Amino acid sequence: MRGTIRRRQVLAAGTTAAGLLALPGKAPAAGGAKPLSGVTLNISCWSAPYPLLLAKYIPEFEAETGARVIYTTPSFPIYNQRMGLALATKSDAYDVVNVTFIFIGQWVGAGWVMPLDPFIADPARTPASWDAKDFFPGTTTAFRNAQGQLCAIPWIADVMMGGASRYDLIRKAGLGLPDTFAEMPKMLAAVNGKDGVPGFLTENHYGWTFPGYLQGFGGNIFRNPPHDLMPVLDTPAAVEAAGFFSDLLRKYAPRGALSYTYDEVVAALKSGKVNYATENEAFVTQMAQPGSTVTETCGFSLFPAGPAGRFPQVATHGWGIPAGSRNKDAAWQFITWAMSQKLLLRMFREHGWSSVTRRSIVELPEFRSKLTFNGFDVAKMYLDTVELAAKGYMAYRTVPPYPQVDRQIDIAIQGIVSGEKTAQQAMAAAQRNSIAQLRRAGVKL
Amino acid sequence: MAAGSTAWSIEQRRAFTVGLVPALVVLAVVTLGPAIYLVVTSLTPLTPIHPGSGLDFSTPFANYRQALFTGSFDHSVWLQCELSAITVGLQTLLGVAVALLLNSESGFMRAVRTGFLVPMVLPPIVVAIIWKILYTPDVSPVYAMLGAFGLRPGALITSPVWALPAIALADTWEWFPFTMLMVLAALQMMPNEPIEAARIDGASAWQMFWYVRLPFIRPALMVAVLFRLIDSIKAFPLIYVLTNGGPGQVTEVTNYYAFIQTFNFAYWGYGAAIATLMVAGVFALSLLLARLGAVAPDDA
Amino acid sequence: MMRKPAVASGAGRRARRRRVRRGLAQGGAAVLLLAVLAPVLWLVLMSFRPSGATLAATLAFTPTLANYRALAGGGFPASFANSLMASTGSTVLSLLIGVPAAYALARHRFRARGRIAMWILVTRMAPPVAFTIPFFLVFSDLGLIDTVPGLIIVYLTFNLALVIWTMRGFFASIPASLEEAAWIDGAGVWSTFRRIALPLAAPGVAATGILCFIMSWNDFFFALILTRTNAMTAPVAIVNFMQYAGWEWGKIAAAGVLVLLPVLAFTFFVRSYLVSGGMAGGLKE
Repeated sequence: MRGTIRRRQVLAAGTTAAGLLALPGKAPAAGGAKPLSGVTLNISCWSAPYPLLLAKYIPEFEAETGARVIYTTPSFPIYNQRMGLALATKSDAYDVVNVTFIFIGQWVGAGWVMPLDPFIADPARTPASWDAKDFFPGTTTAFRNAQGQLCAIPWIADVMMGGASRYDLIRKAGLGLPDTFAEMPKMLAAVNGKDGVPGFLTENHYGWTFPGYLQGFGGNIFRNPPHDLMPVLDTPAAVEAAGFFSDLLRKYAPRGALSYTYDEVVAALKSGKVNYATENEAFVTQMAQPGSTVTETCGFSLFPAGPAGRFPQVATHGWGIPAGSRNKDAAWQFITWAMSQKLLLRMFREHGWSSVTRRSIVELPEFRSKLTFNGFDVAKMYLDTVELAAKGYMAYRTVPPYPQVDRQIDIAIQGIVSGEKTAQQAMAAAQRNSIAQLRRAGVKL
Repeated sequence: MAAGSTAWSIEQRRAFTVGLVPALVVLAVVTLGPAIYLVVTSLTPLTPIHPGSGLDFSTPFANYRQALFTGSFDHSVWLQCELSAITVGLQTLLGVAVALLLNSESGFMRAVRTGFLVPMVLPPIVVAIIWKILYTPDVSPVYAMLGAFGLRPGALITSPVWALPAIALADTWEWFPFTMLMVLAALQMMPNEPIEAARIDGASAWQMFWYVRLPFIRPALMVAVLFRLIDSIKAFPLIYVLTNGGPGQVTEVTNYYAFIQTFNFAYWGYGAAIATLMVAGVFALSLLLARLGAVAPDDA
Repeated sequence: MMRKPAVASGAGRRARRRRVRRGLAQGGAAVLLLAVLAPVLWLVLMSFRPSGATLAATLAFTPTLANYRALAGGGFPASFANSLMASTGSTVLSLLIGVPAAYALARHRFRARGRIAMWILVTRMAPPVAFTIPFFLVFSDLGLIDTVPGLIIVYLTFNLALVIWTMRGFFASIPASLEEAAWIDGAGVWSTFRRIALPLAAPGVAATGILCFIMSWNDFFFALILTRTNAMTAPVAIVNFMQYAGWEWGKIAAAGVLVLLPVLAFTFFVRSYLVSGGMAGGLKE
């Protein structure tokens, strides 16, 4: 068994030495066997727009390298559950996995995905032209372990922004997209229900969609992450933010808003069934892509600012290699192929994939122009938001016990929107339960 | 019993034992093994994030203390009692009522009886999908019909008051045929004399039911209630698809709570403690019901 | 030819009343059945709707097989095959092990009989989550995660108990006289079983086997946790599919219809057994 692996490693190293696979599109060495024939790679990620798009290109990878790729994209909760179980048992079931943002603390922290620096530094495995430094530092810092080693390559800078499917209705009301929280209720009240379209919606993962409002009102999740993890969910600012956010959902959202998952929100936006949302750029920009019925009437803006400032949430997910994988070199080949400048540029040009993490692509003039929809300069909004996030307010999200607090926020907002609790009660409960959960996870408060 | 010499009886018993043992061994491996593992694990803070936590017996009852005195376990038990009470109650009422309706020898009624099997045998996940469709305002034919009359009620599954009853309703639809069939079978086995006697005495329909039929079907009814009660604790696909334990935590019944703790947060030791408490609770409940006059499931 | 007056007309009136009542009962039963089955029928209707058609609005639409065709690609057919293999394998295994045990329990008064029955009942009480952690860990070590044999073993937890419980009832309801006669003639226990008891109980074995198949096919929780891609069963595939398909209800409905068809078909074959209330076995005790 070990002999086979060594042989494969030599073969793989030898081929990448020619740098052929880092630049897809070039013909493989004439007369040679395909470098990865006989290798089966198990690759999985949650069903975000980028992985779904990548599926279209994987047959090219298979044709070039001779590898067989088993590619699965379950929904977000199922993916995280499965991956958590698989990684925890050091299973060899997967070779390339998505390192989900909120689990970075757990998965990277526990060493379940291996450091990639040796692969990057090795010129036989990674040609210099691949340029690992091209990725936004804001996105790579998240994936560094305690020793500073990079453990995943980011495939998305998932930025929050505002998007409207029926900007025409907003303009008809004589208003524009809100730039501050103060403008939001006015705009939503004016357009809610016009043409049968409810005004507002976000996905029911409130642990993700709410913190932008929380921080905008001057609140936060923890006192000073990553060192001081005392939750501060019951401060007056937090309660005000929760009340404000829940109010929007209560007054201007469609019926059953609490049950809308991210893919349902995307479907609703694309078909014009709901007007305005503060959601991921990768989601809202689908309104401007083919397959949407609102390409002519969609509009975009930065995430609104609150009294304490503008805090658009930015997440990043990345490709990593599990510690138990038996095809690590082949896995790295896949990652270099998938994250190569050439492929990402093609994905942008052919399908409009725009939440790119390579600065070189984002700074291209054509990126700018292609991401201008109906006069809205989305590229600029994207870049501005990525710069904002570098300030560090996202630190709360990568502490290992964050998933438990994330759920408490979900529960709190659901309780307020459904009328079961007041904002005060719900946030106080979230505070209590988060402290209990953190203590249980061994955090010293 | 077979007559014969003692030696032959011994041989016979050995033969029967040989037939029984493989099943017992397999049952032991697949049920006792996990049960022992479960109880042992419930005494540790096992979580895969911290290697070695599976052998940490320093605070053996920490999980149980956590469950019973802090956290959402008690809340989940209360919800579970609510859910079980509503759904088993409805299933019983509806089951008995429909059984009385169908209590006839005609071929037509026998065919109708078969039709009622459908909700009970459908894969539970398909039942969940059907009810997800019925409960989602945008796609539901029910909401569309109400809308045609100008009524626009809110979504039940996102209402803190109606989410749990909504689940109970779907569960009742799925399982009332079970109760119905068991009661019906008992009704059909009833001897004619008491019925004829009551009819001659001029009993009303209600008196006929309450004083004549009900006492006879009571044992079967209790068995049905017992089984439905045990199964109602295991409700999962409906909650998974319809509400995910929400909104908030209003449908986070104990089984679902255990699922989240175990598989979303990786608290395996704690999840094991919850499962142990669940089995103990159901067992105690069954004993109680048995004492209240249910048919004992064995010949003790 | 002429009916007798007075008494006869009274009897005639009563008979008419009874006929009316029976007609009402039958009508009511039919209406109730339609109401109960309506949601299932709606699912079937939805599976034939063209996508993009306004969903709940009209009953009239041009039916299309597009949703079913869309299921042909992707992992759905494979998941069907997995369900089939796991269910069949588990049924066969449970019958092989369980039927002889049920016979032994029915025909011989073991001292532990009561305790065994109690044990079987208690295993029924445990929620699936109680079994999944230990099974997950052991299967990880043995490499049985995401395999069909792994599922077959897990399904034994409920199928074996079901077989023993119901077959014991069946055997107990067959009078032992024929077998006793054979025993007196010197026949062995198991040859008698093969030649006399088993053929007599064959309908019961078939019905129990079908019940095992249905219960295995319907399982969701174990497959959700213990499989990933290779052994994913149909119920889990639908859920995966639901969140992947952007909530295209037509395709989801089609998947649901396909998953419920085998169960309905098999139920048809055992309907009389199920309807007679023998399922719980409790009545026969």
